Amino acid sequence: MASLSLRTSRHLATSTRTTAPWICQSCCQSRTFASSVSRNQQPPPPPSHQDPTQPPLPGTRQDDAPTHFGFSTIPSTLKASRVANVFSSVASSYDTMNDLMSLGIHRLWKDHFVRCLNPGIRPTGPAGLRSESTKEEGQRILDIAGGTGDIAQRMLDHATTVNKDMKTHVTISDINPEMLAEGRKRFAGSDYQLAGRVDFLEANAENLSTIPSNSIDLYTVAFGIRNFTHKDQALREAFRVLKPGGVFACLEFTPHLSNSVLDGLYKRWSFGAIPLIGQVVAGDRDSYQYLVESIERFPGQGEFRDMIKEAGFLVPGQEGGEGEKGGWEDLSLGIAAVHKGVKPV
Amino acid sequence: MSSTTALRTLLRTPASLRLLLLQTPRSTYHSYDHAEQPVYREAERTILSSALAHVPIHGFTQEALTLGAKDAGYLDISSNLFPKGTFDLVKYHLVSQRLGLKDRIQFPDENFGVGRKVRNLILERLRANVDTGIVTRWQEALAIMSLAENIPASLRELGALADEMWFLAGDTAVDASWYTKRASLSGIYAAAEIYQTTDQSTEYRDTEQFLDRRLEELRTVGGAVSGTLGWAGFQAGAMVNLLRSKGVMI
Ligand SMILES: C[S@@+](CC[C@H](N)C(=O)[O-])C[C@H]1O[C@@H](n2cnc3c(N)ncnc32)[C@H](O)[C@@H]1O
Repeated sequence: MASLSLRTSRHLATSTRTTAPWICQSCCQSRTFASSVSRNQQPPPPPSHQDPTQPPLPGTRQDDAPTHFGFSTIPSTLKASRVANVFSSVASSYDTMNDLMSLGIHRLWKDHFVRCLNPGIRPTGPAGLRSESTKEEGQRILDIAGGTGDIAQRMLDHATTVNKDMKTHVTISDINPEMLAEGRKRFAGSDYQLAGRVDFLEANAENLSTIPSNSIDLYTVAFGIRNFTHKDQALREAFRVLKPGGVFACLEFTPHLSNSVLDGLYKRWSFGAIPLIGQVVAGDRDSYQYLVESIERFPGQGEFRDMIKEAGFLVPGQEGGEGEKGGWEDLSLGIAAVHKGVKPV
Repeated sequence: MSSTTALRTLLRTPASLRLLLLQTPRSTYHSYDHAEQPVYREAERTILSSALAHVPIHGFTQEALTLGAKDAGYLDISSNLFPKGTFDLVKYHLVSQRLGLKDRIQFPDENFGVGRKVRNLILERLRANVDTGIVTRWQEALAIMSLAENIPASLRELGALADEMWFLAGDTAVDASWYTKRASLSGIYAAAEIYQTTDQSTEYRDTEQFLDRRLEELRTVGGAVSGTLGWAGFQAGAMVNLLRSKGVMI
């Protein structure tokens, strides 16, 4: 396992080094680490807890409908608090968990995710053909489930150093105050904080009522959406807060690897070893067990792509294809995937 | 042409072009097949065509793509709709000019032979590079197309262009010579297009003469198609070196 992760990370590192930072396309296409092998063994979707023909009216959601908490089924109302507990208990050992799940390469995935999104507004040409006013405003980025500010930090760094954009602003939002506190700590006294380019919002991704409609350029959610009770509702909120032309982008673990042999090995690792390590490292087996199971419960890439479309987004790539052609990008044999959607004008 | 000749042609073809020849034959190969699928969605079409208008000044770059998005009422960030970035921009030019060829071309009289029609079609397609103002930037496009991950799609598109030309020229026969015809036309077109990017002569007369020499070669030597292809492959390699020497990162 160690050698596999080592080899993969070396690939990643190479492609990172040889790619001009401002050219997204070559990094987004790099075959060495994006594999788009088709997956034929998609399991049947988990039983839906709502009748899809009867979308609940806002405010009238059947809040006690049973939902999944890992593999145990619990009432919806309880899920948010159970999830909050999980993240409260892993907040400090959180990086360890991500390292275990991603075989140590989640940092490179995050780098790749941000580089391809290319946040920030670049000056055009030496004369700066762009009107000054656009440049003045920068972009508004909303990092949902932003926890410790890992993604936000990369967004701001990319906008500033690559695109020479000193205005772009990130709001880090999370349901869990303890995770947000980690983020606050990270940015305390930083240049970004002094320049007012980062702020924090405690909110459930399914209800972003304090954020005006059509106000956000880029909505990101990294390793967060699998924890949401009503993913469709979160997608609708994303659609609402984004400006027309705005981008939804999600980085998430996938339930099944594209190669069934590797999938079996990876499952053994994640279900067998990770909760055990969680117990040893963090003294908390249950939280790690939950995290592993929540990945298994997450829809496959094709299904999730359809949910994004369902919310109204234009998905890059063609209808019905797999991998990049089908509107997503698999990372490292499909342990994780990037999904994007653009709100039509 | 016998199948052994076809096989020999295949084996002599530079490895990078072989893929093109190996595509499964279809019962009919004209472009109405390609056109049936909706090629681009509305948003993609408006952004990419606006972006192409910025290519003469900004080149085949992320800048052009972003400016195109803004012109179409989208945002800087909206270029995320194009997973292959600048290659999507190049490909849009290729696809739209291939599909537009049938409207650009008019044969003066019915007695035009297939050979002369093909010559006119190639010249017309090359003229589209001039008319859209991208010819001065086309070396950048070739550089992007020659990146390993873009080669298969670029060759597929080149093959589709050759199919379209044979179809418009009225040669719809699908027989053993199909591979050879497709390959020779692809090879000649690719070579002429590369030549065009370096042509300084008035109204691209040199390119026209270059094309005539290649077509003559094909007519007289016939089976020496592989020679032409080898030449095209060599040129592509030379092209990459030329661009590298100019500081283009490929
Ligand atoms: C695995 S962490 C990801 C943190 C960070 N984005 C990263 O990639 O390192 C998942 C985060 O999702 C948050 N979360 C879970 N459910 C949420 C919800 N309904 N709304 C907002 N955030 C939620 C958790 O509090 C936790 O901070």
